[in-house]
Amino acid sequence: MGILNQLAQKYKRIAIVGMAKNAGKTTTLNYLIEEAMDEGIVIGVTSTGRDGENTDLVTGTDKPRVYLDAGTIVSVPVQLYELADAGLEILRMTRYFTALGQLMLCRVVDSGYVQIAGPVNTAEHKDMCNEMMDLGAELILIDGAVDRRSIAAPATSDAIILATGAVLSRSLKKVVEETLHILSTYQLPRIPEGELRDRIKTGAAQDRIMLIKGGRSEFLDLKTSLTAGRILDDAIDQETEWVFIPGALTQSVIGDIHPSKLKGVTFVLKDPTKIFIGATPWQQLRKRGFQVNVLENIEIAALTVNPYAPLGYSFDHRELLTAMREAAGNIPVIDVMYGE
Amino acid sequence: MRLCNPKTKTETGFDYVVHGLSINTPYGRKRVKAISAFEPGKEEALKEELLRLEKTVELVGSQPGRVEELLETLQEMKDNSFTIQRSDNSVLSVVELYEIKTLLLQMDKVRSLLDAADVEVPAEFILQDTTALLDILDPGRERINTFYIYDAFSEKLATLRGEKRRIELDIRKVQKEQKRKVEAAYGISMTPKFEYVISKADKQLMEKTRAIPELALLDEDYVSATFTLKSDDRVDDLKRSMERLNEAIEEEELCVRERLSAEIGAFRSMLLENCTAIGELDFNLAKAFWAREHNCVKPEIVKDHVLEIVEGRQLVVEDILQKKGKQFCPVSIDLRDGVTCITGANMGGKTISLKMVGQCAMLAQHGFYVPCTRARIGLSSYIHILIGDSQNLQRGLSSFGSEMEELKDILDRSKDGALLLIDEIASGTNPVEGLALTRSIVDYLSDQAYISLITTHFDNVSIGGKIRNMQVRGLADVDFELLSREIRYANRRERIEIIGKYMDYRLYEVADNKEIPKDALNIAQMLGIDRDIITRARKYMEDRKR
Repeated sequence: MGILNQLAQKYKRIAIVGMAKNAGKTTTLNYLIEEAMDEGIVIGVTSTGRDGENTDLVTGTDKPRVYLDAGTIVSVPVQLYELADAGLEILRMTRYFTALGQLMLCRVVDSGYVQIAGPVNTAEHKDMCNEMMDLGAELILIDGAVDRRSIAAPATSDAIILATGAVLSRSLKKVVEETLHILSTYQLPRIPEGELRDRIKTGAAQDRIMLIKGGRSEFLDLKTSLTAGRILDDAIDQETEWVFIPGALTQSVIGDIHPSKLKGVTFVLKDPTKIFIGATPWQQLRKRGFQVNVLENIEIAALTVNPYAPLGYSFDHRELLTAMREAAGNIPVIDVMYGE
Repeated sequence: MRLCNPKTKTETGFDYVVHGLSINTPYGRKRVKAISAFEPGKEEALKEELLRLEKTVELVGSQPGRVEELLETLQEMKDNSFTIQRSDNSVLSVVELYEIKTLLLQMDKVRSLLDAADVEVPAEFILQDTTALLDILDPGRERINTFYIYDAFSEKLATLRGEKRRIELDIRKVQKEQKRKVEAAYGISMTPKFEYVISKADKQLMEKTRAIPELALLDEDYVSATFTLKSDDRVDDLKRSMERLNEAIEEEELCVRERLSAEIGAFRSMLLENCTAIGELDFNLAKAFWAREHNCVKPEIVKDHVLEIVEGRQLVVEDILQKKGKQFCPVSIDLRDGVTCITGANMGGKTISLKMVGQCAMLAQHGFYVPCTRARIGLSSYIHILIGDSQNLQRGLSSFGSEMEELKDILDRSKDGALLLIDEIASGTNPVEGLALTRSIVDYLSDQAYISLITTHFDNVSIGGKIRNMQVRGLADVDFELLSREIRYANRRERIEIIGKYMDYRLYEVADNKEIPKDALNIAQMLGIDRDIITRARKYMEDRKR
């Protein structure tokens, strides 16, 4: 069974996200689309809308232009419709808008290149994906964010395909390490349904740091923890069990907390994209008993590797693939360049 | 000549009603912008307008399911009037053709829903039959809302496209064959797109691949090289004829679009008329829903200049009260040419009653139902409400100054058949001159053929035969013992509400010289003003009487 068939059985919407620019996101998208053609799966193709990109959109420089086979469902803004090289049957005018006009859902009648775009708003994105499924798409591929940190992943898709590659570092070991770091942060324990989760979710609406001390919840008058390390250190006491941080989790915050206090509490984040701590310091913190849980997790459906970096260096593709497969455990790893 | 100024529309609450209409289509919104007043002499036209609304109310009441479907269809309508205009002399794009087809399907739906209605539908709502045009845009008669330049539009197009697909397959067949040969001969594996990607770092492989005569370098960047099958004469020939076909297909698609645009152009005026009818339907549905929600009635329109309102309500205030779970106390009033003064207690709702009269008159005269149980209304030539206005204060005018400025404007503009609603005139100056001015204004107005309704605190304004006096019942019948007991332990907001509860807002006609009840001190006391101050004030009152 092909990779697309496997994915389609587990997920409905998959976003393709790059670890960094030039990690091979568009190559991955094209590879998956080709696979779908071969495996005979009807796919829907859309993208996460990106604001302020309209000039680029018009010239098409950073716009995914993908070759789509007949039968594919695709979201196209009105102003790009006439520019499509493929024959597109208009199925539905949606309620969603982009910088290039209202989005239409179309079925490819005559194969060819199409420029795609999707809604900016997360809730609208979800609704539109449902509409695409109503129209017959079995699996939806979302051209996601260039940088994994800017994705709103838990909301827009069921899982992501993470594109990683040589662009991250000249050292193959480091590329694997950084990728593994992301994999492990995306697999942090999720706070299970129940009283604790409800309490944190209710508190999270205030958008402030929240400390849970037994039955009590305490709020700090700080929105993000960026400069809040010492105040936070002060607020954590013997009774503190959970610390919810609404914004970014950086090293400077954790650095200011006394190591003995670090062991007793569990930090809670909205989702793993809020972590801004590198692989090495993360490992060191973990050894000191640092624990993080999340409200929403991000499932990784597969990894794709690109052995080439734009700076000119490259790895042996087979070596990279093997090293990554060893590190990734159960997650499928694909070399999209060579189709392995 | 306009009926009233924008401030009167706002202050009476007429604008509140217009903004509260739930309009569903862009055509309905155009209709709302065209709302205008019916002048005296246009009674018959107004009656027709109200009759349309009455039939719509009946439709909404008797066919809820059908109306629900109608609303759903209306909600999806977009403004395509510009596209329709354009169809006459330009070629529409595929998206525009899709939008016209969508509109036609929606019109079809609206038409059949109204056809099936069991009550009489006003002729203005009936859409003309555009099935013939829909058939042209939907050659398969599938009535599904999708669009493409389908093969069915042109036999020629179908043939060309068929040929193109055949050539595509031929090319692929040839290439597949080549691919198999190359793969077998050199032990390599190519992608389904007949490409072979290798790393440029692998110099040896690069050399080897370059040497393969059947492969050509398609693309290379700093890291990798993509090879593809070298095309042979057979493929080249096929590709050339494909190019020619593509051109012919594009040309034929343009022809189809030209033909379809011209067909739409032929229906242009019919489509635009239908859009107007949809606007009329949408607007009337909105008015009907609004009337039902707010328990409004159809006003009786008469030739005489009269305003009879039974149990009228001011909707702005009523909505606020309803949100607090309270009810508006309806007020009845019966006005004809001449001056009517409303006097009575503070907090007695005089100003609200003034606005209520204004709202009812404005609504009726613009073809709306009226918030009351019965209304008999003659059309006014001019309507103006003169009421304290914070905007003028912001402009730097004193309240008295701006009031006089506006009064001059009113007196200049008024003509026979005017309706003037004046709230506490001259209350912002000293009581001696204020009373004198109020009396002379009342004198002047009572000689005119206007309906003038004036609220005032001054005693003895209205001495003279022509003037009618109405009084708010206020706290006259209240057991003060009970009221003060209840209010003693209440907090600030509760005090206001308790007073509101005991207040009787209804109006009664009273004799000329009856003194206005003096409730101001009672109310001030109830609201918690220092006892000493109240006692002193009472003493001053006694002194003055003596």
